[in-house]
Amino acid sequence: MTLSRRQTLAALAGSVLLPALSRTAGAQTAAFRIGALNPITGAGAPYGSGMQKMIVAAAAMVNDAGGAGGRTLEVSSEDTQTQPQAAVLAAKKLIEVNKVQAILGTWASGVSLAVAPLTNDAGILLMNTSGAPALSVPPANAKGLLYRFQATNDRFGRAFAEVATKQGFKRPATMAFNNASGIGNTEGFRKAWEAKGGKVVENVVYEPNQPSYRAELQKVLAAKPDVIVMGSYLADTTIILREWFQTGETTKFIIPAWAANPDLVKALGPEVTEGLISVDSISNEGSDAFKAFDAAYQKAMGQPGLSNVYAAMTWDMVVVLALAMEAAGPNADVAAISAKLREVAGPGGKAVSTFAEGKAALKTGKIDYQGASSILDFDQYGDVTPDFSVSVVEKGKIERKYIVKL
Amino acid sequence: MSGFLELAISGLMSGLVIGLAALALTLVFGVARFANAATGDFMTCGAYAALLGFGATGSMVVGGAVGLAAGALVGMVSYLLVFRTLEGRPSVSALLASIGIGFVIRAVLGVVYGHGQQVFQLPLVRPWRVYDLRIQPNDLKIGITALVALLVVFLVLHATPIGRRMRAVADDPMLARVSGIAPRQVMLALWALSGAVAALAGVLLGIKTVVSPEMGWEMLIPVFAAAVLGGIGHPVGAILAGVLLGVLQEIATPYVGFTYKLALAFVILLAVLLVRPKGLFGRVEGVR
Repeated sequence: MTLSRRQTLAALAGSVLLPALSRTAGAQTAAFRIGALNPITGAGAPYGSGMQKMIVAAAAMVNDAGGAGGRTLEVSSEDTQTQPQAAVLAAKKLIEVNKVQAILGTWASGVSLAVAPLTNDAGILLMNTSGAPALSVPPANAKGLLYRFQATNDRFGRAFAEVATKQGFKRPATMAFNNASGIGNTEGFRKAWEAKGGKVVENVVYEPNQPSYRAELQKVLAAKPDVIVMGSYLADTTIILREWFQTGETTKFIIPAWAANPDLVKALGPEVTEGLISVDSISNEGSDAFKAFDAAYQKAMGQPGLSNVYAAMTWDMVVVLALAMEAAGPNADVAAISAKLREVAGPGGKAVSTFAEGKAALKTGKIDYQGASSILDFDQYGDVTPDFSVSVVEKGKIERKYIVKL
Repeated sequence: MSGFLELAISGLMSGLVIGLAALALTLVFGVARFANAATGDFMTCGAYAALLGFGATGSMVVGGAVGLAAGALVGMVSYLLVFRTLEGRPSVSALLASIGIGFVIRAVLGVVYGHGQQVFQLPLVRPWRVYDLRIQPNDLKIGITALVALLVVFLVLHATPIGRRMRAVADDPMLARVSGIAPRQVMLALWALSGAVAALAGVLLGIKTVVSPEMGWEMLIPVFAAAVLGGIGHPVGAILAGVLLGVLQEIATPYVGFTYKLALAFVILLAVLLVRPKGLFGRVEGVR
């Protein structure tokens, strides 16, 4: 290996500057470090960049408002690649090298479940946007340090049951991808549907990466359902719907929006997808907090805030965290901050929509942050209940029809 | 009953795809004596190349041909760059190298095409009704393509000079060399053949399912199972075992449950290996 003079100079300059940089970082003892751990690449890539930019933007907003609890926020960013292995490595780096005290914005249940043991061991917060019911309870949430800003799969299932009732379906069947999220959806649906006195005519759980799902479909269709409720992802939904269409049956489908999205319509064409019902959790649209988020999102991404529900969640994560820090007072540790999280977001205080507003109101009494992603009332498990939108595919377009509140 | 038959047909289709991939695996094993873990990724290469050809011309036949050519090319290139230099080393080095080649292929495809899914935009057709049986025209085409491919592979192996040389090298490399067979040429032909067969399996799988950088890698376990069940190194065995596994899986799962689909394949594998440790068709020497 030969080094040019320029490379040598650059290397020398680097080695001189690095300690200087870390000195300045060390000098800011009044900083609270947070890790933005988002799906920049992989299946979550359409959302990840926006999520990360909103964490950075919200942190800057908090710092501009004078910081929280006497401290400023310092963000370190990493990519999960939407893969548990990569996410674990990145989380390790954030915890051990960057010394973060909270990790924000993990997406996909497999990723959040993989990162949770690390944050629990380190005694730091993990705020996620995943759906798996397992994230509500121990071992994942053994220390109560997990906060979820997305609807649980169980709540998705309840929303599905509301939709099925509203559409007048009588004989639902379910098909679930064999993982915590897929089964969470259909089990949530089954419980809610049976609580309404209904009966689910068939439940099938299928394995990923099959060359064909015809046997599974045949079993479901044999029960003569009028609607099939899915707990599925994009690839398997594509294959199943293609094979379903080729059987000539005319069953309806209720599908979570992360599977029934424009990519699905593009892959299958308007004829196959006509009439599919797509259910998604939605932001707290129309709220003042959403307006603030929307403005920041437009500025950072050049797109409307409506296009990324997960970015609204990561925005809220920073705001809620900062409000809890403010409420907990100077130099509060993670446990003290966590103890304040429900208080600043839950009901029973002055409704506020921004960090600055909340910081001012905290001086006189309790507050209730009404978030951009939902009204953000954490239950005992650290879960929230957003609203759901119901859309129907018509002539190759996904048209929103109505909103379901649980 | 018609449901049962439909399941068997569906299993036959899946089985043919898996069998083709197992054939690609077993061809390499028979001659080069190691399990090529990049077989699944050769499939993926074929599928992406076919997408490219199909997108450019709108013809699935041209797309398939481009896919096969790409598979053959990837097979030859990996031989020339990697496996040639590993000849004479323990077969575990070649196995590890093939895992590495798989990683490289997946990473390159992921960077170039992204990790999202792509599909062959073929017209979807309603099935034909024969008595009470639903038959998919696409299934028929896939089945015929797979059978033609098998025929071609067997003709190459048994009715051409290069095929004869391949079998000679498989039988006894030293003796083949002494008889004046140039191993390099034989190996190149072998890798091209194996790559093309894997690519075809990938194209058919891509048509049936969706194309993504991990598609072939994720099929590797059933493919290995079929190759082992058929008697490793035995071409006919690989195909028959693939079909057997596919059909048995499909018709049995409504009774034993879908989550045990893959497990069932391994139960069959275990049962056969207990009775016949060399696989259904295997001999001590492997391929002839």
